[in-house]
Amino acid sequence: MTPPPAGSPIAVEAQNLVKSYGVVRAVDGVSFQVRRGEIVGFLGANGAGKTTTLRMLCGLLTPTSGKALIDGFDIHAQPLEAKARLGYLDEEPFVHPHLTGREFLNYIADLYRMPRGPERQGRMEKLLGLFELADRNGELIGAYSHGMKQKIGLASLLIREPSVLLLDEPTNGLDPRSARLVKDLLEELAALGTTVLLSTHILEVAQALCKRVAIIDRGHIVATGTIEELRAQAGSEQASLEDLFLKLTAGPESRELIERLLA
Amino acid sequence: MTDSATRVILKAELLAWRHRLLGRSPVRLALLGIFLLAGAVFIGGGAFTVGAAAGHFLPIARDTILTGGFTSLSVLMLVIGFPTVIATFFVGRELLQLVLAPIRPLDIFIARLVLAMSANLLISSILLMGTLGVGVGSGAPIVFYPLTFLLIFVQVLVVTALQAILMSIVLRWVPARIARDVAAAVAGLSGAGFYLAWNINLRQSFSPQNHPDLSNFTSLVNHVEWLPSAWPGHALSAVIAGNPSEAATWVLFSVVLAVLVLAIAEILYRRTLLTGLGVFGGPPAIWRRGAAKQAIAVARQGAASPFRAIALKDWLSYRRDIRRLSRMLPAFLFPVGYAFAFLRPSRSITGFWTEVFLVGFISMFMSTALATPSIPSERRGFQLLRMAPMTMAQVIRAKIMLTLPPVLVLTFIFSMVVATVSASGVAQYVELAALVLWLGTGFVAVGVSAGAIDPRFDASDDRRAVGLVGTLAGLAGTLGFGLLSVGALALVVFGYSATQGIKQLGPIPATPEVGALMWAGGVVLLVGAAAIVITLLWFANSRLRAWEGAIASV
Repeated sequence: MTPPPAGSPIAVEAQNLVKSYGVVRAVDGVSFQVRRGEIVGFLGANGAGKTTTLRMLCGLLTPTSGKALIDGFDIHAQPLEAKARLGYLDEEPFVHPHLTGREFLNYIADLYRMPRGPERQGRMEKLLGLFELADRNGELIGAYSHGMKQKIGLASLLIREPSVLLLDEPTNGLDPRSARLVKDLLEELAALGTTVLLSTHILEVAQALCKRVAIIDRGHIVATGTIEELRAQAGSEQASLEDLFLKLTAGPESRELIERLLA
Repeated sequence: MTDSATRVILKAELLAWRHRLLGRSPVRLALLGIFLLAGAVFIGGGAFTVGAAAGHFLPIARDTILTGGFTSLSVLMLVIGFPTVIATFFVGRELLQLVLAPIRPLDIFIARLVLAMSANLLISSILLMGTLGVGVGSGAPIVFYPLTFLLIFVQVLVVTALQAILMSIVLRWVPARIARDVAAAVAGLSGAGFYLAWNINLRQSFSPQNHPDLSNFTSLVNHVEWLPSAWPGHALSAVIAGNPSEAATWVLFSVVLAVLVLAIAEILYRRTLLTGLGVFGGPPAIWRRGAAKQAIAVARQGAASPFRAIALKDWLSYRRDIRRLSRMLPAFLFPVGYAFAFLRPSRSITGFWTEVFLVGFISMFMSTALATPSIPSERRGFQLLRMAPMTMAQVIRAKIMLTLPPVLVLTFIFSMVVATVSASGVAQYVELAALVLWLGTGFVAVGVSAGAIDPRFDASDDRRAVGLVGTLAGLAGTLGFGLLSVGALALVVFGYSATQGIKQLGPIPATPEVGALMWAGGVVLLVGAAAIVITLLWFANSRLRAWEGAIASV
């Protein structure tokens, strides 16, 4: 297991996280650290345990054992301190369908006790403009497309400037222009000190954005490190992240599966 | 082809229902079994006994009883059935899937009709037991019994199809931008209005001498005997009277009516299904701009507060959610309607305890309607509250504080109207006001706790938003708190009389000592009532803190 580069303080830490459902261990002893200002990719196949891990980190799930720390605060022992610093975007964002985009952002800002006034209003307008939602005044979120819901979900995180972002497939459903916008935005935020843990299936996104990646397979972390470190680990200097991912989470080859299907 | 498509849809629904049932823990299944068994024995057995007694001892009133029973079933279905009809015929992802599939609208209509009827059939089982009792009590021929099953089924079919027709008419002829509002008004007010009109008239049949005037009751029901809802009752009473030709005529009328209503419902449904999916399937695409701007203006003032955030969000969501709105309108209509009924000159409310009972009933009714679904109605948004830097105790407190004002204001207005009509003294006004405050607060806290103890966040319908454990906890809490509170009030009132030397309780002496003892007993009961509420709140908080299920989007 490759440790994070030294220097900045640790912003996200999973300490031997375990989540069991009866006899099934969805997450089995996951540990990793993310330093402030880092963008770390969290990769894994469907059902590998990514979302369960993220939900334990943000406090939506209680670990069977282990600890999840956000900026040094245990999300379960000191939830209010940890949650105030954290923003989590679910694969399918948690939104209120009967509110408009502006009303929803106001709701979130109030929930997090953001002082009202021109500064908050200005930030809200900027975010709505950035995500091209400003002219949707009066349109309820329930009528938004999936991509628009994703955008308002992201805006609801960014309006309160959390120091840690946990993002589950943030570019899912976004058009190429918006996906690019999100990528650029995350890089800017990381440069300003925001920590990002990004779960994605789109390996190009991870390769382009993440300095380090952690790969989870069947509830276990099977590799962490920079792309170069993973290449060295796999003994293949030219391998893409996709090749490395497939090698580390080995299953039947796709060609073999297709042949079986068509047989 | 038609049969198989309908069968496939219903089979899938049955399978899903079976999985939901078997997915419950054995304890919950056992509780459900006990609950159903107790319901069948007490409610079904009670209805059967009452029916049998009436059939045996009131031979002249058999027709009236049967037609009244069928009419009241129709009214009940109209009062509570619209949200189910809207949800079944026009809402749901699985419905979208059916629309996309190569299936004729007729198949979808039949399958959805059967589903929509299932809840109404459950309700109608009470009438079934009562009617079977009438048959047994009056020694009806054997044909009476299968005919009862058939006619109740036909009645449920007709009312369900009629509800679908009303919604389809709104969708077909009302402009789409106001169709939701109009549908909510029709759904919320038609059944409730019908019920109130019926109920207010029925009350006139009870004379001031405190005994029911059955002849007046009979004449009232006779006025509505021409209504189609009464036809099955006429058919059954003709069977009992040994008049087969008359019975056959009424059965024929009922069946022909059912066929006609079904045909109209199917034709309208075919033409409005897609519109309905758009209108009812989700929130309206565009909300009135003025309202949206106003909400923002409200949000701009003052300091940021999670409590106000939840309040504003709940208020906006209520106004814009057709299904919740259609359920809330009757809740608001009943207290107003009853207050109006008591204001009429012929009404004579005497006795402080009648007022106490009415205040208790109204505050309990309002709390159940508004407070119980308040936490489960957060749906997936509950995850936002869990991730926000606030405790679950704060969420519960916010929900209680938000539900209290409408419950207290409406109950207070209602109780003051009743107290004025019955010419109460100042002391009774004060006692009633205190009672409204105490009962309203307690019932709301119990209701919110019941919803928090066993929330179903992914239920699309508020009536299914609380699980069995929560429902039972709510019932027990409401009953316990209500009885102890009213008991405490009784001890305080009678204790005061005792201290004044006024003898009101038979052999119990009216002395200051006895009065003091009664007051002490009242305080004990009050503490007991408060303890019930506090225990439920504590349990609700623990359950919400430990809650960690995934919430599917609906």
